[in-house]
Amino acid sequence: MTAVLETEGLTKRYGRHPGLSDCTLHIPPGRVVGLVGPNGAGKTTLLQLAVGLLTPTAGRIEVLGGQPASGPDQLARVGFVAQDTPTYANLTVADHLRLGAHLNPRWDDEVAQTRIDRLGLDHARPAGKLSGGQRAQLALTLAVAKRPELLVLDEPVASLDPLARREFLQSLMEFTAESGASVILSSHLVADLERVCDFLIVLADSRVLVAGDVDELLATHPRLVGLRRDPEVLPAGATVIQASHTDRQSTLIVRSETPIDDGVWNSERLDLEDLVLAYMAKAAVPAPRRAEMTR
Amino acid sequence: MIWLTYRQFRTQAIVGAVTLVAAAIALAINGRMIARAWTDSGAANCPATGDCAALTNFAHATDNGRTIVLFILGTALLYLVPPLVGVFWGAPLVARELEAGTHRLVWNQSVTRDRWLAVKLGLLCTASVAFAGILSLIVWWSSYRIDENVLNRLTPLLFGARGVVPIGYAAFAFVLGVAAGILIRRTVPAMAVTLAVYAAAVGAMILWVRAHLLPAKHLTTNLDLSQGIEQLGIGPNGDMRIVAQAHIDGAWILQNQTVTAAGKVFTGPADPTQCGRDVGPKACEDWINTLGLKQRLVYQPASRFWDLQWAEVGVFLVLAALLVAFGFWWLRRRSA
Repeated sequence: MTAVLETEGLTKRYGRHPGLSDCTLHIPPGRVVGLVGPNGAGKTTLLQLAVGLLTPTAGRIEVLGGQPASGPDQLARVGFVAQDTPTYANLTVADHLRLGAHLNPRWDDEVAQTRIDRLGLDHARPAGKLSGGQRAQLALTLAVAKRPELLVLDEPVASLDPLARREFLQSLMEFTAESGASVILSSHLVADLERVCDFLIVLADSRVLVAGDVDELLATHPRLVGLRRDPEVLPAGATVIQASHTDRQSTLIVRSETPIDDGVWNSERLDLEDLVLAYMAKAAVPAPRRAEMTR
Repeated sequence: MIWLTYRQFRTQAIVGAVTLVAAAIALAINGRMIARAWTDSGAANCPATGDCAALTNFAHATDNGRTIVLFILGTALLYLVPPLVGVFWGAPLVARELEAGTHRLVWNQSVTRDRWLAVKLGLLCTASVAFAGILSLIVWWSSYRIDENVLNRLTPLLFGARGVVPIGYAAFAFVLGVAAGILIRRTVPAMAVTLAVYAAAVGAMILWVRAHLLPAKHLTTNLDLSQGIEQLGIGPNGDMRIVAQAHIDGAWILQNQTVTAAGKVFTGPADPTQCGRDVGPKACEDWINTLGLKQRLVYQPASRFWDLQWAEVGVFLVLAALLVAFGFWWLRRRSA
């Protein structure tokens, strides 16, 4: 099957400032992909390149086998919920659904109406008077009812309160379960993604640090705890992602394709957040120059 | 796309329609009053009988407060509509979407960016042109008797508010607004730039370009002061300036000079014994008549009204087309 997203050396610069550098990715279909990284890491750049709002400075990108936004067919196959979930403030909820119906050949009005009714949104209410959570749901409804094969969401829950956040992710999960579509969503919080994603991309400072299936990532990134020793003495085939030492004890987070069972180290399974933080901390190590990137 | 364009444009369309209806009613009433003055003054007989002395009565009859105010308002409205269309219809068209971020919503429906812009631009440019065109037609109908018999349609201020020129202005102003919005990406600055550039373009057209859209005609005749003197001045050193009135029916006079038989502009010297405080104006005129001076005119004749109209519309439509091309190109290559 065609990859949902395939990039090779994908680069986007804003003047001299790098937005995304040399990004090579292969995302198989049917995944819910979490894109995580600090603010300014390049998440929005990558997503906007995927939906064709931006064009690359260099490199190649294919989405569902086609060029992003190359024509009405390609646009119809990809749904996008932009950051801050923009809607037309003076158009009503019903107007937005009509907009969707008029502009999308594969529009499923029943899905749209059902979702709006279930959310309890007033059809006659202007979108500008909806709460943040309701607006996000409206934007998601628009993207979902066009029945895309890939749904891209840029920080959809960043501005929502915890309850609205949960409800939003809930309805996103319902959509993926019903439609079987692929999803890419970004967040700067791993907790948002942990429950919903089965594929993870970690971005920092415009570069991809790691990408892969969540289960595989967790299986190949153990935390090793043992007596303090020289960090150069590594278990065979393992690369250190993060190392910390006390007087007596060393704790390493390593990447290793084979399980580590040498009797020297005590191997523990990481959770996703620890893994992401380990990579981000590693990226931040050549510190002084990169300090600016955290904000 | 058509539905969305209509839905987003609805409020502006209503404002435009109300303005148009109000203007139409006022101008229709005024047109009726001018028509009544036309028959009552006897001027209506002028074309048939050739007795056109009554035109003076007509000019007098229409020279009253209400008629003149409505006449001027109609003309002024035709000058105001194009820039207002550019500022309030054109500039926000794309700028507001970019400012509110809704372009990220609408450009990800199953409609390409090019088609989105093409439909919006096409429909609203048609609306702008129709607005200006209908208004121009109403103003024309309401005031053609004054235009033809009392005033001169070729005079710069009347020319821009008659015929098809307002249509060219409206198309240019609208597209200028859209292009400014695409380039500047913020509504209010785009509005300001639209207004400034529009005013500069139309000002330049009126002041420097229009007279040269078609090669002007030249006419040199013997100076005839009996037709009326436009200007007569004598300086302290005896230098002198005399300009006779130009009499070419309905023409737009671009230059009116008095030249000597050798073809040089006449600058005196005045003969103090003939032209001065102590002698009457008659003596001075008689003396001037003996000098063999000529009147040299550069002008656009009345018959060129429509040629000049189409030429000016052409200029603005070409500018509008360039702006449209720029808008598509910039929107395609710009970063979101």
